[in-house]
Amino acid sequence: MAIKQAIILLVIAAILGLGANLFSPNKIEYIGAYRNLSGSDGPIIPPDADENDPPFIDINTAHFEHSTKRTIFIDAREREEFECGTIPGSINIPFDYLPDGDLKLYFDSSLGHVAFDQPIVVFCSGEECDQSLHLARNLAEYGYSDVTIFFGGSREWERFSLEIERRKNCGG
Amino acid sequence: MGALQPRDRKEKKLRRLIDNDLLTMISRLVVGIVFIYASFYKVIDPGSFARSIWFYHLVPGNLINLIALILPWLELLCGLALVFGIHYRGAVIWANVLTIVFIIALYTTIYRGLSVDCGCFKASGAASYKAWRSIIFDLFLLVFTLHLYFSRSQRWRLAR
Repeated sequence: MAIKQAIILLVIAAILGLGANLFSPNKIEYIGAYRNLSGSDGPIIPPDADENDPPFIDINTAHFEHSTKRTIFIDAREREEFECGTIPGSINIPFDYLPDGDLKLYFDSSLGHVAFDQPIVVFCSGEECDQSLHLARNLAEYGYSDVTIFFGGSREWERFSLEIERRKNCGG
Repeated sequence: MGALQPRDRKEKKLRRLIDNDLLTMISRLVVGIVFIYASFYKVIDPGSFARSIWFYHLVPGNLINLIALILPWLELLCGLALVFGIHYRGAVIWANVLTIVFIIALYTTIYRGLSVDCGCFKASGAASYKAWRSIIFDLFLLVFTLHLYFSRSQRWRLAR
């Protein structure tokens, strides 16, 4: 009797859960494309990071965030580097060209469609660059509440043989 | 028949306490409301809950989204079933199973040194909720779910 009722509850939950997803504004894919990437020993954290900085994430988390399709990836490098190869679907906001004064216009033009609570991952090339760290600090300060830094950057992404989007052929 | 031994009397007293209608109703409300509340954010935002599940590294990748879609609704239904007393025994089984599974999952994160958000109430990726605190909360909850499992009270149910 109890087991039968438990099965009925599970079946109803499955019907409601899978059915509601069809009409949900926060719809997700039924079968997620998650996988574990071997060889990751936690996030790379630069020595100049301080405790108030947005959290750092490793390649596993970055890949997971990418597969959710909800997270905005921001490449903080220069346009040229961005076009030569970046994480697919990323937006380019070159930190080096960030205006000194009011950031509102700048962020509104590039991130106008992004809600302040939407997950954002900022990255640059890898350990040698710090544009991701500085851009992430700016974004968090500006009001984006779910900013993380993938400090391994595009190089670590490539090292794990993950897909790279190339807008132009830069050789090498 | 001789007089009841002290031990029998104690057992009877405990049995009466467990079967007490009012205490059982209180346990139903506590567990039911916790389950309904816990399901709320996860039903609305299954994507974030999927991320919480993924952080545990316990479930095969292609099952994560299915669990993230079904589990919150199961929690919600169990909560409602306990409060209103419909499909009651089934809901009691799920309440116990889920609470035990949550405790084991949380414990494994501590054992493996993972820093995860429990994803218990608000599905989120940030490690904001300490696993130990969640385990202690779930152990308290388990006392109530076990009470419901052993209680034979039949009152205040809309159906069997």
